[in-house]
Amino acid sequence: MKPPILRAQDIVKRFGPVTALRGVSFDLQPGEIHALCGENGAGKSTLIKTLSGIHAYGSYEGELFLNEKPLQLKNIGDAERAGIAVIYQELALIPELSVAENIFLGNEPTRGAFIDWLTVLGRARELLGRFEVNIDPSTRVGDLGVGQQQLVEIVKALSKESQILILDEPTAALSESEVLQLLDILHDLRAGGLTCVYISHKLDEVFALADRITVLRDGASIATLDASETNKEEIIKLMVGREIGELFPRVVPENFSTESVPVLQIENLSVEPPEAGGQALHDISFCVRPGEVLGLGGLMGAGRTEVLMHLFGAWGKRMAGSVGLDGAPLDKPTPERAIEAGMVLVSEDRKRYGLLLEQMINFNLSLSSLEQILAGLFIDSNKEAVRNQKIFSDLRVKAPSLEAVVGNLSGGNQQKVVLGKALLSNPKIIFLDEPTRGIDVGAKQEIYQLINRLSEQGLAVVLVSSELPELMGMSDRIIMLHEGRIGGEFSKAEATPEKLLSAAMGQQAQLV
Amino acid sequence: MASLSVTPEKNTSAAPPAEEKAFSPHDFSMVFALIAIWLFFAFSSPNFVSARNLSNLAVELSITAVLALGMLLIILTGHIDLSVGSGVGLLGGLAAVLIFEHGWNAPLAMLVALLAAILIWAAMGTLIMTQRIPAFIITLAGLMVFKGLHWQVIHNATIPVSVGGAENLYSLLTTWYLPPLWSWVLAGATFAVMVYAQWRERKRRAALNFPVPAKDLAFSRLFITGQIILLFVLICNQFRGIPLSAIILAASAVFVWALTQYTRLGRYFYAVGGNEEAAHISGVPVTKVVIWAFAIMGVFVALGGFLQTAYAGASTTTTGQLLELDAIAACVIGGASLKGGRGTVAGVLFGALIMASLMNGMTLMAVSPEVKYIARGLVLALAVWLDARLGNAR
Repeated sequence: MKPPILRAQDIVKRFGPVTALRGVSFDLQPGEIHALCGENGAGKSTLIKTLSGIHAYGSYEGELFLNEKPLQLKNIGDAERAGIAVIYQELALIPELSVAENIFLGNEPTRGAFIDWLTVLGRARELLGRFEVNIDPSTRVGDLGVGQQQLVEIVKALSKESQILILDEPTAALSESEVLQLLDILHDLRAGGLTCVYISHKLDEVFALADRITVLRDGASIATLDASETNKEEIIKLMVGREIGELFPRVVPENFSTESVPVLQIENLSVEPPEAGGQALHDISFCVRPGEVLGLGGLMGAGRTEVLMHLFGAWGKRMAGSVGLDGAPLDKPTPERAIEAGMVLVSEDRKRYGLLLEQMINFNLSLSSLEQILAGLFIDSNKEAVRNQKIFSDLRVKAPSLEAVVGNLSGGNQQKVVLGKALLSNPKIIFLDEPTRGIDVGAKQEIYQLINRLSEQGLAVVLVSSELPELMGMSDRIIMLHEGRIGGEFSKAEATPEKLLSAAMGQQAQLV
Repeated sequence: MASLSVTPEKNTSAAPPAEEKAFSPHDFSMVFALIAIWLFFAFSSPNFVSARNLSNLAVELSITAVLALGMLLIILTGHIDLSVGSGVGLLGGLAAVLIFEHGWNAPLAMLVALLAAILIWAAMGTLIMTQRIPAFIITLAGLMVFKGLHWQVIHNATIPVSVGGAENLYSLLTTWYLPPLWSWVLAGATFAVMVYAQWRERKRRAALNFPVPAKDLAFSRLFITGQIILLFVLICNQFRGIPLSAIILAASAVFVWALTQYTRLGRYFYAVGGNEEAAHISGVPVTKVVIWAFAIMGVFVALGGFLQTAYAGASTTTTGQLLELDAIAACVIGGASLKGGRGTVAGVLFGALIMASLMNGMTLMAVSPEVKYIARGLVLALAVWLDARLGNAR
């Protein structure tokens, strides 16, 4: 083995009384892709912040070595100069600026006192071309899809001559095809000698990409394994420290019948996007029955979220078609009316559309269902506390009490609060848009179990997911969207990844 | 769906330790600032602590605080109202003109002005939400329009609040005092209600297994509140008793407190300001909520207008000028976030007390108007800076 390019030895990091890292060691071989796996809260983010100088040298115990020389990073700038670049989950691009401007932000080539815009554009084009990214450098970043923005981020990091690239959940917001493109680029970069640390919840990607895998659990490094000598089950076992029987434990309720009256019936729905943009919808028809889990899939931008948001009254202008909820038409929906009619939405973007991060769990849980706890004009806080305490324990939200501030919870627990809020409004049908995005394996399992319990009670579930295994594992029936139209519908028995992907890419003809 | 199938939970009774969050660094620095201001004025102008002046301060505080309470609702929703000062002038002037020039009786004139205020502010709220024009712009326009209307209504003259200096409901707003004996009764009753409410709240929280604040902390809080009430009544009674305007302020404060803490609309104020998109998706009628905040602001602007005009005895072209900035400053000093979603009634009252004390003390010291402006501005900037610094430290 060659000497490691970067080595961390017995890193211990404490925040007050909380120990986030209790002894992490790992080493990075030059030219390898090294995956870090672990549940949320296992210490991955803290470790990255240590490697990238956000947690300055001296604020942690243990030692970092770059090419076997001690590395003492005092700030992010030090890390950049040492050739370490990090791409975070949340993109750090400025949407109003062009791709080229973003790539050279803070690093602009100048001519005297002025920025040399021609050089900026030229060098950006050259960089994009080198990595075979087909984006015009003068495009406004805000006009790009999330996946393309991700590529711009990577190009930006590489433009700083980094030798080590750390990617934190880069595919959380990408569709399958964008993931494939990203994986290709990373393969090419590795061939070109780049060293990469890759953090992801998606084990498929990890195994497609990584040379070695280090598993973190509860702030400690548990094991480092060669990807070729291990498998998913082993990694999951190491991550959670316990056996997880089945990944997708979908159970169809016994009393479910395909003949039952649909709770939601949509016919020939066509919708125009608002000025803000999005995929127009054309001629969409489907129905959902009580106790059924309908999966809604498609590539990024196919209109999955738009369908849900429109039905919920929060997106687009209806041009044609009808929507019936429990037999009654829902013609001009607003979220308020939709919730009243028994429909509820859990958005894919829980920080933006789901939560009031500064407020307590109690406040967030009650927001959609305050009328149930009114006594005359006033809120009956007694009733509220009893009701919310029940769902708080049912959903097993891990927090000190109902009065904990939501912003301080982990992603999985935040998601449970959003789900709790939705369920408290007593829905007949629930839209779950990427309900397991960015949350750890254990919390995912709890959400799958919850879906089972809800459908057992006769609730209809529409599940949007960009992860094919999840979509296939949890849905009873799957509809794939392609450019705002229905690309295909499959029963659980019919569905295979190949069929679903072809439908998502509009190649229905090949199916027959 | 009815309810989730209950998985037996054993640990719900194990109440986690109570989080002690008695005072934040922000609270401390504000108390310290108030004490410093009072000590400074008490030493440089002994009249500051005279019963008569403190009684005046109570009236001045009630004007600033009533407006700040209304402003709190708007700031909670993440908006702003710059038109308050002009509105105070316009509505106080309108009622005065109806009484003095048209011979209306005072309650009717004030009722008409109040209704006008509610309509105007609801209309501004509607414009802001339905036409998506920023509140900053709409209320800035309001500032100018209302000022012009005010001057037109009083045709640039000085209009007294009553004919020939006679007493009416309008003039009594700032000249009537609750007699000393009744002041004690009121104070006693208020304190008793507070003790009862605290006791009941503790019992209920304990019954629900919620963290209950430590006993000594709750006791010392009540003790301090009792002391303040005692001191307040003692001082007021040395002059004429509790001023009516202070009672109006107390009623307004209780109203806004109950509104923000115990009603659906109040929750929605925090929700809209905290995250408008999430509130929308959660089924909060965002547009209506903001219009309500503005309509209620209309009530407080009218009330502030009556108090301010009555305190001066007449409406003039400068009545109410810049009061919006005092109201905003009081909110910010009191810990409300201009981004929305954060702020409390207690904090706002405190902020108003700081602003009112500052103005009152400077007037007593015969500070020139130009220095007063500079001081007010610096205090506002300082408060926001402190808030940002302490906010980051949290």
